Amino acid sequence: MLKTTTNPTTTTEKAAAPAKDAAARPAALPATVLDNLGARFRPGGLFLVMLRPDGSVAYHDAASGLFFQRYVLPMIQYAEPSDQDLRKRIAALTATSPVEVWNVLPGITLAAFPHVEKRQVAGVLLLAGKSSGFRLGEDVVRVCSRLGIDCIWLGQQSESLSTYDDETLLRQARLLHGMIRDQVRVAGLEQELDSLSGQLSNTYEELSLIYQISGGMKINRRASDFFKGACVDVMGVMNVRGMGVSLLSSVHQQEPVLYGSLGLPPGKVHRLAGELMRLMGERKGPLLINDLHRDKHFTWLAEYAHQLIAVPLMRQEQVLGCLFGIDKTTGGVFDSVDSKLLTSIANESAIYLENSMLFDDVHGLMMGLLHSLTSAVDAKDAYTCGHSERVALLSRHLAQHAKLTGHEVERVYMAGLLHDVGKIGVPEAVLQKTGRLTNEEFEQIKKHPEIGARILQDIKQIKDIIPGVLHHHERYDGKGYPGGLAGEDIPLMGRIICLADCFDAMTSSRTYRKALPLEVALTEIRRCSGTQFDPRLTEAFLQISGDQFRELIRNHQEQTKRLAEKAQTLRVA
Amino acid sequence: MSERTILVADDESHILHVVSLKLKNAGYRVLTARDGQEALEMAQQEKPDLLITDYHMPQLSGIELCRKLKQDPATSNIPAIMLTARGYSLEPADTEQSGILRMLSKPFSPRHLLSTVEEVLSGAAA
Repeated sequence: MLKTTTNPTTTTEKAAAPAKDAAARPAALPATVLDNLGARFRPGGLFLVMLRPDGSVAYHDAASGLFFQRYVLPMIQYAEPSDQDLRKRIAALTATSPVEVWNVLPGITLAAFPHVEKRQVAGVLLLAGKSSGFRLGEDVVRVCSRLGIDCIWLGQQSESLSTYDDETLLRQARLLHGMIRDQVRVAGLEQELDSLSGQLSNTYEELSLIYQISGGMKINRRASDFFKGACVDVMGVMNVRGMGVSLLSSVHQQEPVLYGSLGLPPGKVHRLAGELMRLMGERKGPLLINDLHRDKHFTWLAEYAHQLIAVPLMRQEQVLGCLFGIDKTTGGVFDSVDSKLLTSIANESAIYLENSMLFDDVHGLMMGLLHSLTSAVDAKDAYTCGHSERVALLSRHLAQHAKLTGHEVERVYMAGLLHDVGKIGVPEAVLQKTGRLTNEEFEQIKKHPEIGARILQDIKQIKDIIPGVLHHHERYDGKGYPGGLAGEDIPLMGRIICLADCFDAMTSSRTYRKALPLEVALTEIRRCSGTQFDPRLTEAFLQISGDQFRELIRNHQEQTKRLAEKAQTLRVA
Repeated sequence: MSERTILVADDESHILHVVSLKLKNAGYRVLTARDGQEALEMAQQEKPDLLITDYHMPQLSGIELCRKLKQDPATSNIPAIMLTARGYSLEPADTEQSGILRMLSKPFSPRHLLSTVEEVLSGAAA
């Protein structure tokens, strides 16, 4: 800025006012793109300017020389009424205008073309160079005096600059035009790429969520545990404050299951669940409410929440329940992305729920049949009433103490239930005999494990429990029946049921004696450890406290009573 | 805290895009490489704070890349997160002497990846 002093300050002051306004409005092209382009044309003595459609300067190459900064830029900025040519030309530009050369500024060759966005003129690009006919003629001097610059100084500034005739500048401007087009295209593609990557990222998120949720769909798992896991996962991905699941009461005899902080009093939770179930039954599609204050159904909920999303859990046109979420934690709104995601989770869950219902159904039927069968057995002998059920429960308890897996524990329970099923084949006269049994009668009794095993042998789903039924009268010392197996040769199930069976026999009243007190029975069990019973199982058995035994028995007294009544009716019939 | 640099290496460009977008939006500087060799050279030059690499890559596998970085004192402190195909698990012998702190199976959750990155970086800083 060597020649600053030659410039009256008035011009700069004048420049400040209109520029302020204009700066508030963004340029159609990013400044970084324009800087980059300006730098490429600068060495050739060219000056890049971008105007807004109204003619105000949106960008100029601020690194260009003083010739452009002091002479060309002010002419473009403050085209005076006498220089209306430039304004008229800018106004006349349309989206389809080609690159043109405008000889409207004294001593300057100026190329111009529109910058088009969405088929509208979004700006005007100007490329200015020193005209090949530049001289300090009358027109240049007049402009200099108007701008308050020394024209001799201007002449010096212009000396080193390349000159341009119309053709050369046009070529350069077309090059610039092509470069801008490419840059815009690249910027557009980059933006598109980011948007696609963002969508892909969401898809990954959803896919990973669905993987995780499907992984939790274990048929023998409780539906509420499954939904809890699913809700927690969804809450994280969708950024919601609270989630809930409401199921038809015929599907699931439970309160609505809730996760996260819904912040609703219990009564309101029921109301929400009830209203959602009714609405879902009507619309059978997702519900999105981003302003609860204005919703006619849920104004009452606005006190506790702002936003609500719900989707039905549907199987074959039947609404089994619904999945709902409250309030975005990120401050956004529930949109179609959320409802699509929640719907796919709901669809997966509904399949699971239906399977789980079918499983429960079949399982219930099977257990019902098993209990009926056991009642039929117990009914043959009034004094063994409820015995099978108690042995089953005790065996299950013992299996748990012996650290068997959940599945094994359930199989032990089933084997316990069925352990005496073979008594069906033993004459009632023998079973109910109160006096001492003859050898022959005892031999008949001793057949019941084998008869039981034969009764069950054709049901492939319970083949694994047959060893429990067949070997529950084996003794650890090998003196039992029917196999005379000893030690670990006796299947574990058999050893477990044997203990439970003997314990229940001792603690129940018989025709020939009253029930033994708990302590006496336990002492007897301890005494027979290693001879009749597996010592390790005995150890586990004795660790079960008396309270636990009493509780176990008390808990099932009702059931035993019911079974006894049933057995009574069966006998009478 | 100064801007952390993360190098992401994967021969599948869609993974690179998803991972870099997520990390850039979280304020990290992200470098990308499309094969193990390119990643190795970039890591030696740029010394990133963290490496996220795919297992299966042309030229140099993710494991070989990590081992090479571990052997060079200049890059031996760069922690790594490895991406593997679902159902594919690495033996402890594979990950020994490799600086691999976490493994994620594809398709991974970008949100989970980001939290893993933050966890690893805060652990490395402590």
